[in-house]
Amino acid sequence: MSVLEAVSTQAGAGESLTGEAYRDAMRRWLHTNLPAGFRSDSAAFAPPTLQQSVAWEAAMYRAGLTGITWPQAYGGHGRSLREHLIANQEIGRLAMPESVNSIGKELAGPIILAVGTEEQKRRFLPAILEMRNIWCQGFSEPEAGSDLAGLRTRATRNGEGWRINGQKIWTSGAYRSQRCLVLARTGPLEDRHRGLAMFAVPLDAKGVRVRTIKSIDGRESFCEVFFDDVEVAQADAIGAPDEGWAAAIRVLEIERATNRMYRAWRFENELRHLISACKADPVLSQMVDDRHSAVRLGEVAVEIEVLKAHVETAVEALVNGDKIGARGSLAKLYWSESHQRFAALALELLQQASLPQLAAIKVARRRFEAIYLQARAETIYAGTTEIQLGIIADRILQLSRGK
Amino acid sequence: MTMAEGLQSDEFAATAARAVTACANLDVREQAQKLAGDGLLGVIANEEVGGLALPLGFAVPVIAAAHAGLLGFPLLETVLVGRLLQSSLTRLAAAIVSGETLATIAWQGEAAAERDGGALVLSGTVARAPCAAKVDYVVVRMDAGAAALIPTDAEGVVVEEAAGLDLTVPEHVVRLEKVEIPVGSMLPASTWDMLSSDANVLRAAAILGSAEACLALAQEHASTRRQFGHALSYNQAIRHALARQKLGLESIRHAITRSLTGDGGPLQRDAAFLAAASYGSSISEGALQIHGGMGFTWDVPVHRHLRRIRTLQAQGDASGLISAFGRRYVSEVAPFAETGA
Repeated sequence: MSVLEAVSTQAGAGESLTGEAYRDAMRRWLHTNLPAGFRSDSAAFAPPTLQQSVAWEAAMYRAGLTGITWPQAYGGHGRSLREHLIANQEIGRLAMPESVNSIGKELAGPIILAVGTEEQKRRFLPAILEMRNIWCQGFSEPEAGSDLAGLRTRATRNGEGWRINGQKIWTSGAYRSQRCLVLARTGPLEDRHRGLAMFAVPLDAKGVRVRTIKSIDGRESFCEVFFDDVEVAQADAIGAPDEGWAAAIRVLEIERATNRMYRAWRFENELRHLISACKADPVLSQMVDDRHSAVRLGEVAVEIEVLKAHVETAVEALVNGDKIGARGSLAKLYWSESHQRFAALALELLQQASLPQLAAIKVARRRFEAIYLQARAETIYAGTTEIQLGIIADRILQLSRGK
Repeated sequence: MTMAEGLQSDEFAATAARAVTACANLDVREQAQKLAGDGLLGVIANEEVGGLALPLGFAVPVIAAAHAGLLGFPLLETVLVGRLLQSSLTRLAAAIVSGETLATIAWQGEAAAERDGGALVLSGTVARAPCAAKVDYVVVRMDAGAAALIPTDAEGVVVEEAAGLDLTVPEHVVRLEKVEIPVGSMLPASTWDMLSSDANVLRAAAILGSAEACLALAQEHASTRRQFGHALSYNQAIRHALARQKLGLESIRHAITRSLTGDGGPLQRDAAFLAAASYGSSISEGALQIHGGMGFTWDVPVHRHLRRIRTLQAQGDASGLISAFGRRYVSEVAPFAETGA
């Protein structure tokens, strides 16, 4: 089935369903509509173009697979976090491309929901879900990576609106985005976290320049974004100065625990793919049967189960009204390091495949070599491992820093 | 409302913690009386034998508190045996739940049985039986996943001290030299699998309790011990080490919680135990390291927890189980085919 056909069929597949019936509907829709060429565990895999990704994600939205918990008034499906988990479990079970608009759906959208004006919610949120607006995140700067309190991009008053000057870096997907969620300073640098404000800057505004950076996987996805006297309307300021940042921190805490909720189930899909490829190869099929490999694969499988436990218990806690606090740092630390270990094991195994290389091994090598490289970023983005450890020490263990 | 709905597992943790403190300096039989008096031996046994008929999840905080407090009593085994016998040997189960009779389980090895008229004759050596020298009965594994209940004073039963790490609930080896037991003491096939699966959850809980105690000790030490003019916790290396221990601890806790939900099956229970075995060892070893030279002394209790965690790891055969876990996973996946990928 082509992408366009997928877009036009079975929209709203699970509208009135709940629980396992909802799961079945989501699963059926995904299996029926995900194009074979989008599946990285298929010989037919061809990375989707931006246009194809946009069409696919718009179709997923119409089928009820994104915007699950967002209010219906803003285009969401108004469902519970438990159903969000169910849908994500099914998304994870397929080797599906990552969203090109995860910043919109999992960062900008929830922040706007938390502190945006009514007008902003109606203007921005449906556009994110319908994939009319792709967002990127303008937080990091050359002089402020992990330490956002040191950021220097400045927003100054310009009549009714604002003027932004500065530079952002490591801005994934800026080249393909319509909006950038920019964090800028309205007061002096000495104010640190005070006086930080957030803006929804249109990337086609005069004075915005985007330059791509080639990453270790050969892709040119993340970018530098330069802002030279960029005029931003007050209507595009997200929350009041100070308030925006405080809300962002709260949202980030929740998002860190719940974003890309499908990860554990995707890692399981990857593990099953790896084993299936090994079992098709005469050398590797013997290798995965020996005790040494069984132990190592068993360790990966246990870590996947533990990651599921982190996710599911976080969802239950949130559903029961508990505060998630810094707990998201535990899950982030866990999945990012586990995935790196798994990816390294996958490479080690696949390197020992027999010759001539079978199609199954070619498919697996292509997928796992990409995963191995991309996983190196996972302990860096969204707060490095060291930052997460610091958060756990400071805020969960509340260890004394006293002299 | 059922009894389970009216009770909070937190209350059990608090009761267990108090009981553990009260058990200090009591001998094993006195401890049994005390623990039974607080309802802790029959948490999961049915009401006919004097138990509370609660789900396994209610035993988790009890076992965790017992291990956090270094209880010198085979509580995990007692809780499981009481429930195991509740249908087939009701009177004995009631005696175990009431603390009058003591029982344990030999977690390693298997006995062979021969029929001799109306009786069974058992032979073999089993091991890793906590506190076997002080109990009245021991449950041993038999062929095909069955189990047998053996009185420790029966003719031919030799209980020997075994080299082992655990100082708090020492393990014993049990030699069976043509031990005659009634056929009724043979528990059906599949008994052992069920016992092991439940034990894995409770072992994870036991390790959680010990690991929590270790992390608390390490945290306290890091906050109060001063070196180079600062508390140890001033140093990033120490802060990050403790943060990793906390990650391990919460991973154990969440894995146990998940294993007890509606979706939790044998796989999730094994995963909880394997995670606990791995992270629990790291946490207790890490806590010892944080204590520096003091950690290597007899008086700092970290080594007692470390010994218990390593013993629990062996009683659940974590090394064998992780291999079986991986093999099971591998066997369930078909070789790559385009449509089945």
